[in-house]
Amino acid sequence: MMIGVFLCTCGTAIAERIDVERLAAAVGRLPDVAWCRTVGFLCSEAEKERMEGVLRDEAPDRVVVAACSPREHEATFMGVMEKAGLNPYLLQMVNIREQVAWITPEISRATRKAESLLAGAVARVRRHAPLETKRVEAVPDVLVVGGGPAGIKAAIELAEAGRRVVLVERSAVIGGLPVRFEEVAPGMECGPCMLEPLLGELLHGRLAERIEILTMAEVTGAVGYCGNFTVTIGVRGRGVDRACIGCGECAAACPATAANPYDYGLGTRKAIDFPFPGALPNLPYLDAATCRRAAGEECRACKDACHLGEETVRFDEPVTTVERSVGAVVIATGGEPIDAVRFPALRYGEIPGVYTSVEFERLLSSSGPTGGKLATAGGREPESVAIVHCVGSRDPAHRDYCSGVCCAYALKFGHIVASRFPGASMHHVYRELNLPGKGGAALLRRGGEKSFFHRYRMPDGISLSPGAGGRITVTSDTGQDGITADIVVLCPAIVPAEGTAGLAKIFDTPLDHLGFFEELHGTTDTARGKVKGIYLAGSCREPGDIRQAMLGGSAAAAAIHADIPEGKELEISPVCAVTDRERCAGCGICVSLCPYRAAALVPDGKAEVNQLLCHGCGSCAAGCPGGAISVGYFTREAILAELEGILR
Amino acid sequence: MECDGKPGKPKLAVYWGGSCGGCEIALVNLGERLLALDERLDFFFCPCLLDRKNKDVEELDDGAIALTLFNGAARTTENLEMARLLRRKSRLFVAYGACASSGGIPALANLDTPGSLSRTVFLESPTVENPSRHVPGSSSPYCTPALSLPKLTGSILPLSAIANVDYLIPGCPPEPETVWSAIAILTGADLPPKGSVVGAGTVPVCDECSRIRGEKRLRRFVRFHEAVPRDGECLLDQGIVCMGGATRSGCGALCPGANVPCSGCYGPPEGVADQGAAMVGALGSVLDPGELAALPEGEMAARTDALFEGIPDGAGTFYRYSLAGSLLRRRRP
Repeated sequence: MMIGVFLCTCGTAIAERIDVERLAAAVGRLPDVAWCRTVGFLCSEAEKERMEGVLRDEAPDRVVVAACSPREHEATFMGVMEKAGLNPYLLQMVNIREQVAWITPEISRATRKAESLLAGAVARVRRHAPLETKRVEAVPDVLVVGGGPAGIKAAIELAEAGRRVVLVERSAVIGGLPVRFEEVAPGMECGPCMLEPLLGELLHGRLAERIEILTMAEVTGAVGYCGNFTVTIGVRGRGVDRACIGCGECAAACPATAANPYDYGLGTRKAIDFPFPGALPNLPYLDAATCRRAAGEECRACKDACHLGEETVRFDEPVTTVERSVGAVVIATGGEPIDAVRFPALRYGEIPGVYTSVEFERLLSSSGPTGGKLATAGGREPESVAIVHCVGSRDPAHRDYCSGVCCAYALKFGHIVASRFPGASMHHVYRELNLPGKGGAALLRRGGEKSFFHRYRMPDGISLSPGAGGRITVTSDTGQDGITADIVVLCPAIVPAEGTAGLAKIFDTPLDHLGFFEELHGTTDTARGKVKGIYLAGSCREPGDIRQAMLGGSAAAAAIHADIPEGKELEISPVCAVTDRERCAGCGICVSLCPYRAAALVPDGKAEVNQLLCHGCGSCAAGCPGGAISVGYFTREAILAELEGILR
Repeated sequence: MECDGKPGKPKLAVYWGGSCGGCEIALVNLGERLLALDERLDFFFCPCLLDRKNKDVEELDDGAIALTLFNGAARTTENLEMARLLRRKSRLFVAYGACASSGGIPALANLDTPGSLSRTVFLESPTVENPSRHVPGSSSPYCTPALSLPKLTGSILPLSAIANVDYLIPGCPPEPETVWSAIAILTGADLPPKGSVVGAGTVPVCDECSRIRGEKRLRRFVRFHEAVPRDGECLLDQGIVCMGGATRSGCGALCPGANVPCSGCYGPPEGVADQGAAMVGALGSVLDPGELAALPEGEMAARTDALFEGIPDGAGTFYRYSLAGSLLRRRRP
């Protein structure tokens, strides 16, 4: 074996702190070291070229570079190896700058330390094997789960770049929550008007042919890995053919009504009806449980009313299962308000006139159950509205985090109430106000003169009680006089949407301790999930506003373009875990500990690591009690040889 | 001489060092196969079963014994002497059982000094009655000429650190199948590479265990007396520390099959240097920190410490049979 060593002095950074001559002599005496060349700046263009020439001429079996941190220049020197026709993994770098020269005060000790590290590297590099980067073809199509702002933004960005997208939405409506809001903070734009152009683009614009929208649909299963998932989707029958033009004659004719879930039960809808006026796609849906036919009646009023013919309406449409092949998945399932009945002192559901924020949004909305007319429980115009902030947020007994969106929409409510009822007073009952961003401060000025702020202390410091004349008394723990209001709006903490845990299980991707999807890195990589090929956008990873959701959708699309560029093959780094089937007894330790869900037990009971999912972290190799897993480039033999070399 | 054995058959020696006798019982457990063994080999030296003296061995030519199975730990100077003598006289010298292979149970005393061992045994143990507070030593002042006994060694080393060991047979004790298969290999024509473990498997015990493995997310360790293990389900998945994952197969997974967690007596699987470290590494990886992530650091530490209350004896759990042969070996003075 012939080992070549390059010793970089990094100008003076290494040369002044290590006796390079002595080091070179010591390295030259190590077994199998054919030569040791001392170089000024190995990373300079001229020296890299010279290095390439040396490697070509000498053709060493293994190469050691003693220089800076491999994090800085390992890729550089691996590139030189490749150019010179050598396998890049036959290189071992030794960090004699950051880990020796810069931190060791005496030259003699630094030199001895560098000698030991080099002895380790020379012992180790002998055990290196040439490794190959593998390539597989990736499916460019993308699944987007959730048709709210984050999901539609991701779908549009991807389709804009030519990708085919499958958009799966659980409800009958796309656009998420904002299409149900009259105005949106901080700009007080009309929510449906703001989103309509985007939704139109998805539904019938130039991107529509690349985006398959499946409403009333849920992901039921997924197999595969980054670049190649097969996803099964259960689609509940809408009861209405795609040919429907949304004229609404069926709804007008339908004799059955029930509480409308899209208005949180504040209004009603027919058994066959639109979720709410202006909902997109512009198609009614049939709620079979409400339909008279569920009670055995032979009703066919809707069929008879349809201008397109009776077959446009379909009774007893079953759940169909469709299967789609995708290379990446964007999870954009959002959040929802925590159930307000968890706060007994607020007596939600008991005292008339106490609403949650989403209910209040619907009451203010012109597409809502009252057509936007706001009245007290007694039918009068409200004279006073109280808004209780932080219901369950910043509350160790419920959610310790700030939900981030409530202050802004609470002030928006104040603005809407002030503009509709100039005489009404607004009472913000709050603990902290959180209004970051460009438009935040301006919101405070939107409430007008009759806007009042009352601070309370403890998370459970507010209680509500029925007052005289159908009014509501708000009592706080500051001991001030109670506020009397006609309407009280609660701002519940934002929690992960229902079904989040189930979806996480389907995609085998972890949730954080709060139940939100866990990002690859909470600060530097929030658009990627922990599992390769899974991307996160919007409030499924953290409560956020519409801007953040839109940005998240764009970011997820960008990450997909970066990770899985269309037409390119996926590179699989050889620095990944491989199981030795001869040694594996299938104990399953690796399966449980792999943070990327790359390790799995295959049918014969042995563990296998999916190289596409593996990040090469080495957890499984360290955890395997049977020593059956090794990581390429970091084999047990190489590490032990390095240790022996250092300690010899 | 007739008592020297039948000259035609190769000589077999089975010797015990610091041993409980279980390895001899394991040999006897061969049952009728013992007769077949006697047909092929001459039981020349076996203090447990035969009345033959050390001098009979000393008088043999070097290499006169075909196969010596040395069991028990090298606990005394006499054990060391006999190990070296038998090595010299044997063509194949085999570490037989966990004690000889890697120290076994006696090597747990490596966490103590011989002096404190004597104090514990002869003075401090709650069941000891020793009014004269006499602690036995290696020489007796009461006899003329003075009598001497072998001394305790400072710590227990694996047999291979005392004499050149050709092969190892694992187990505490080795199962009869292991013994039989090892003897078949050692008396056969094709010997495996020197230093091999013979008669057992190479992969972990899980390979032979019929329990179904599932998700390993341990919120706490369950001590053996605290719960009746659920049938058919991996013991480790149930929080019971089962060493099977870090233990060489070959026993047929008898203990987990009988609702008892593997205690690791067959030593580490092929390719694993340190059985205890391998198991600690594995367990550390499957402990579920749960809601810990949002806690203050001090509380986090307290909660993780509490997880280990189910493992009151780390050395006895992870290194019960392998301390002397492990990277730890013994307590540093």
